[in-house]
Amino acid sequence: MEYKDYYATLGVEKTASQDEIKKAYRKLVRKYHPDVSKHKDATEKTKEINEAYDVLGDAEKRAAYDELGQGRRAGQEFTPPPDWGTQFDFGGAGANDFFSDLFTHAGRRSGRGGARGFGGGGGGGGGFQMRGEDIHAAITIDLRDAYQGAARTISLRVPQHDEQGRVKMQDKTLSVNIPKGVTPGQQLRLAGQGHPGGGGPGDLYLEIQFEPDPRYRVEGTNVYENVPVAPWEAALGASVSVPTPSGAVEVTIPPGSQSGRKLRLKGRGIPSREPGDLYLILDVVLPPASTERAKELYRQMARDLAFNPRERIGA
Amino acid sequence: MPNNNSLSGVLLDDVALTLDELARAVEVEPDWVVRHVRAGTLGGETTVQITSWRFRSGDLVRARRLLRVERDFDANEDLAGLVVDLGDEIRRLRARLHALGLD
Repeated sequence: MEYKDYYATLGVEKTASQDEIKKAYRKLVRKYHPDVSKHKDATEKTKEINEAYDVLGDAEKRAAYDELGQGRRAGQEFTPPPDWGTQFDFGGAGANDFFSDLFTHAGRRSGRGGARGFGGGGGGGGGFQMRGEDIHAAITIDLRDAYQGAARTISLRVPQHDEQGRVKMQDKTLSVNIPKGVTPGQQLRLAGQGHPGGGGPGDLYLEIQFEPDPRYRVEGTNVYENVPVAPWEAALGASVSVPTPSGAVEVTIPPGSQSGRKLRLKGRGIPSREPGDLYLILDVVLPPASTERAKELYRQMARDLAFNPRERIGA
Repeated sequence: MPNNNSLSGVLLDDVALTLDELARAVEVEPDWVVRHVRAGTLGGETTVQITSWRFRSGDLVRARRLLRVERDFDANEDLAGLVVDLGDEIRRLRARLHALGLD
């Protein structure tokens, strides 16, 4: 695996105090927060910053990371020694990041029944046993999947007990059924698929995300689609076939339509418990004046229609 | 060796979380959730009876955002609520612009 320099990510010295690390993190997280940043890679940067702070902001994790990182440079290939990390225990060692990878290689023992984690672990002893942590992840689907339902395969890195009772990060592949009618941001809860624990496993929460689609845009349960129409279809009215996420539909274009006009197809949005609507936004497309015949037709319109498109702006 | 399973989950908008379940999912004490509900920063379906409180997808996402702001910036619940509200509004407006093809 490649070594990641969390200190460089946060732009602090290895000798930085916890307060300096926190200040550096706050500055960067404000700079790259996806809601406010104009940086193209703001989301990725935020993820890196959070990953670095999750380790360096925690004294115990930082100590483990420092022990491993002596003399290492970012991007350098290395394998942690087999006994590395045995004196540390962090409960749930996080998601798919560099730090949790370290623990896959280290294969350290589970120990504490701490607030974050594995509880009684492989020991199986009596007394109070913690339930395993919940896992939060995202799953990306196509809009069409939201209309029809779908099955998706996801891979997660989760701690598992081996035969000796040790905890190792392992790849876990799950085939997940996505119900029809889901919308972006909804949470799908898979009971018992979180981290293991003496008091039972935690749950897996999957946030539904949609793959961007150049044809469709989604807002809640409503779907928006641009429909190109010819000038004569918009002016005279027409019946046109329009592909939609639920199949082609025949749509009546009212006469006198302009670009931007919205036609609502009720109940043809995402089929949730309360189905959304599909909005078709008309986009009048001009035929190219690429032939003499086409140019003559445009000239004829200019002569015969006496049309001033700039009348509204006083021209 | 990967494990293969076929699983069906439940949407939190169909089967909502209880107070304890939300607290566990966010990794906080139930008191933290109660404090936020009382402050009006969390929970749309909360009545006088705490045992009947239910939380859906939006509440879980919001609770995790509130916690992150509190922890990262040592913010109190009102300030965290304001930051999360502003973030929600930005996302809503951006989604609106995108839906109308104006972004």
